[in-house]
Amino acid sequence: MQSATAHAHETHGHDSHGDHAHHHDVSFIRKYVFSTDHKVIAKQFMLASLFFLFVGGLFALLIRWQLAFPGEAIPLIGNILPDTWVSDGAVTANFYTQLLTLHGTVMIFYVIIPLAVGMFGNFCIPLMIGTDDMALPRLNMYSFWLVPPAGLIMLTGFFFDSGAAAAGWTGYPPLGPSSGAGQTTWLISLFLIGFSSIMGATNYMATILNKRAKGLQMFQMPLTVWALFITAILITLGTPVLAAAISMQLADQYLHTSFFMPDNLLVGAPDNSLLTGAFVQKGNELLEHKQLLGGGGQPILWQHLFWFYSHPAVYIMILPGMGIVSDVLATFARKPLYGYKAMIFAIMAIAFLGFIVWGHHMFQSGMNPLLGTTFMLSTIVIAVPSAIKIFNWLGTIWRGNIRFTAANLNALAFIATFIIGGLSGVFMASAPVDIYIHDTYFIVAHIHYVLFGGALFAIFSGIYYWFPKMYGKMLNESLGRKHFYWSFIFFNLTFYPMHLLGVGGHMRRIYNPYIYEFLQQYQPMNQFITIAAIILGFSQFILIFNILWSLKYGKKAPRNPWQANSLEWAAPAHPGHGNFDTDIRVYRGPYEFSHPDRETDFYPQWEEPQGDEKTVHETKEHSHSA
Amino acid sequence: MSFDFSKAMEWAYKDMLTFFPENVSTFGGELDSLFAMIYYASVAIFFITYAILIAFIIMYRHQEGRKAYYYHGNNLMEFTWTLLPTFLFAGIGLWSDDAWTKSKYAYRVPNPDVTIDVLGYQSGFGWQFRYPGPDGVFGNKVRNQISSANPFGIDSNDVHGKDDLVIISPGGARPVEVHLPINKNVLVNLSSNDVLHSFFLPNFRVKQDAVPGQWIKVWFNGTKAGRYEIACAELCGSGHYNMRGLLIMDSQQDYDAWLDQQYKLVKPELSAPVSDSTAVAAVASDSTTTKN
Ligand code: HEM
Ligand SMILES: [Cu+2]
Ligand SMILES: [Cu+2]
Repeated sequence: MQSATAHAHETHGHDSHGDHAHHHDVSFIRKYVFSTDHKVIAKQFMLASLFFLFVGGLFALLIRWQLAFPGEAIPLIGNILPDTWVSDGAVTANFYTQLLTLHGTVMIFYVIIPLAVGMFGNFCIPLMIGTDDMALPRLNMYSFWLVPPAGLIMLTGFFFDSGAAAAGWTGYPPLGPSSGAGQTTWLISLFLIGFSSIMGATNYMATILNKRAKGLQMFQMPLTVWALFITAILITLGTPVLAAAISMQLADQYLHTSFFMPDNLLVGAPDNSLLTGAFVQKGNELLEHKQLLGGGGQPILWQHLFWFYSHPAVYIMILPGMGIVSDVLATFARKPLYGYKAMIFAIMAIAFLGFIVWGHHMFQSGMNPLLGTTFMLSTIVIAVPSAIKIFNWLGTIWRGNIRFTAANLNALAFIATFIIGGLSGVFMASAPVDIYIHDTYFIVAHIHYVLFGGALFAIFSGIYYWFPKMYGKMLNESLGRKHFYWSFIFFNLTFYPMHLLGVGGHMRRIYNPYIYEFLQQYQPMNQFITIAAIILGFSQFILIFNILWSLKYGKKAPRNPWQANSLEWAAPAHPGHGNFDTDIRVYRGPYEFSHPDRETDFYPQWEEPQGDEKTVHETKEHSHSA
Repeated sequence: MSFDFSKAMEWAYKDMLTFFPENVSTFGGELDSLFAMIYYASVAIFFITYAILIAFIIMYRHQEGRKAYYYHGNNLMEFTWTLLPTFLFAGIGLWSDDAWTKSKYAYRVPNPDVTIDVLGYQSGFGWQFRYPGPDGVFGNKVRNQISSANPFGIDSNDVHGKDDLVIISPGGARPVEVHLPINKNVLVNLSSNDVLHSFFLPNFRVKQDAVPGQWIKVWFNGTKAGRYEIACAELCGSGHYNMRGLLIMDSQQDYDAWLDQQYKLVKPELSAPVSDSTAVAAVASDSTTTKN
């Protein structure tokens, strides 16, 4: 294996792709399991995350069943689940709380981030900048191999007597540290996956800065690469803060520190004998004993640290998707991306502002309300670059020649849902409006419009778009479109009504809403949502089936099936380790579609200009908008 | 399992604003109209952007032989669609600030007519309320006297604390029930002794997290007599859903009658001789504000 530094030095002049594409005679384990090939690692991220997508989806459906039919046995599986989870086949309150916690955590940390960043970062960056692999391939391998153990550690919580983590995906203290071993596995798991993120992100930055193909300027990179580059910066700046916060919570749990724990707490989780400042249960009697060490901590401190990471994290989840959507839309509209530089600056603005808006999650937390005003204003500012992006996407399809492939349908759906998610964000950004809708289903609706409707649809779009390059086979388009229509319709039927539940005052994270008189009227709507959610969940099997079917029977992919311009399409249809079989030189930006002087409607970045076309190309460079 | 189809489809034919439960507080109307303003702006933006999106999808769908327009964008357009939303959103922010400061800033909390202490608790899940008792003065709170028997940590040496009325959940499935007067500024000192909770009065548009170690002031002024629900809006454990309470808003008379009755019920020996303690009360009459 070549050393990483050797790669870095030959940045602009490596012409030796050909040889290491062939001569490696590596063992099965090296090739498919502990591989350092970025494409294999990308596939591993995809498989692991799709697995977790189904785990997280199952949790969601169990939650939905309880909300629609509280106390009624879960169909099919209710009676085979262990007593610690269900009673009479119905989810218990305790298990419900674990489910909602792990649903959120799995979906965010084990599905969206690994897919958007791990999978596409790995697959797209080296190919789209025209290089053979990541700058640090071995680090890359480690970054994947932390994911499965991290995920499994968290899931083991379900088999503890005290259950898995149950303090929400936000893990707020004192509830977090005062609960049992499940919370510990949750913390350790997040620590590991954060570590994985940081390893991946440093690698992406090193690769993009040092390993671009000859002639490829930063401002000639496709939006996907730009978005991933800025995402990597967000990860390296944000994740260490989460790691610190997690360490502090672990210390509060086991070392009797009190970063987040005020003194004289009367917390009484069943198995918290480890805690000093806690009740100890003895029979039915709660014996209180005072905190022996420390005390005087601040629960709100955790929220500041957590959201200082987790607000940027929502952009970690969405920015790669925004990049993918930009590329897919331009390719299938056969049009240059509208406002290429404006799009990049908007991403930079979002990334920068993303670090000064975290307090909008804490308007009602008890922090000084003066900060509420500040965070309200900064949050409102961050909606502006989001709006800019929407307008530029609309500009991109304007006067295009739009092909409705499965990839493009998902990208168009991204715009449609992101408009709604962005607008609901503005409601919550207004601190006084947020008083009433905070911690209601309005927030749940918002989250899902941006994360499912936004990030996940963009991920689907990327899967349909790059699958041919990943596996050398085309996905079945008609199955792809079916998957899209079912997902899109039932996504909206599931999550749109949640806005209205929120306005009705329906709290989130509620095991049985109907003990409240004012919520009883919403049971039919909850039933409707549950039915839609079940169909939405099962629609995802179309995708899985499509992937499996196409791997076996799919059409062989040509080198450039979408007639796109960016460098990954210069690689062989199913590139081996080392990626390219030709020497890549870059002559132009990635969005030269429908150039008036060309016969074809695309003009790849790597195609050498012919004769006087050279001058055409020069002037074109200047016409890029700022 | 029954399924009420028209109820289930309400989301499709009822306007979003009609889902609000009745507002019965003085500032609630202002919050609702802010919501409505953003809602109308959003609906307009939604229809405009969707119309454009759908029109483009239809007009520019793939046609054989047509070539897309080779165009990289235009700075004037970029400036326009940067500035327009900036003004709109900045307007929303500035407009919002008054309602925000009014409902949360300490200096804008009006002089209270009634002050109570509220604690959320996790062992059994519910709310505890403290009224100052016939002397009208709260006993001092001392953190190191907090215990499950004395959740507020009322100072055992403070005579004002002896008559304080503490109301806790009756146990079982019955929600705790408290009364407050209408058309009065009510100040709630909110805290918790265990984990975070959030004191949510849907009809009053009040929501505030209860944070252990910190007493947070929440105020409202109810405009309509009736029976309203109290909810918890912050995950506090597996019984989080079960923190329902009832708030009965009474006329001043009914409220006084209820208080008297409570005093008799809970502390019969204190119900009559209010005058005995008034002398003491005068000395420390500033202690209605909390000390921790
Ligand atoms: C126009 C841009 C956006 C604005 C103004 C905005 C605003 C907000 C606000 C104010 C909250 C807190 C609400 C509350 O808890 O009361 C929130 C929550 C949230 N937002 Fe956004 N948001 C925007 C875009 C996004 C995007 C792009 C994502 C993700 C990709 C996202 C993900 C989330 C999530 C996950 C939460 C909920 C966190 C929780 O569990 O409490 N938001 N947003
Ligand atoms: Cu945020
Ligand atoms: Cu609660």
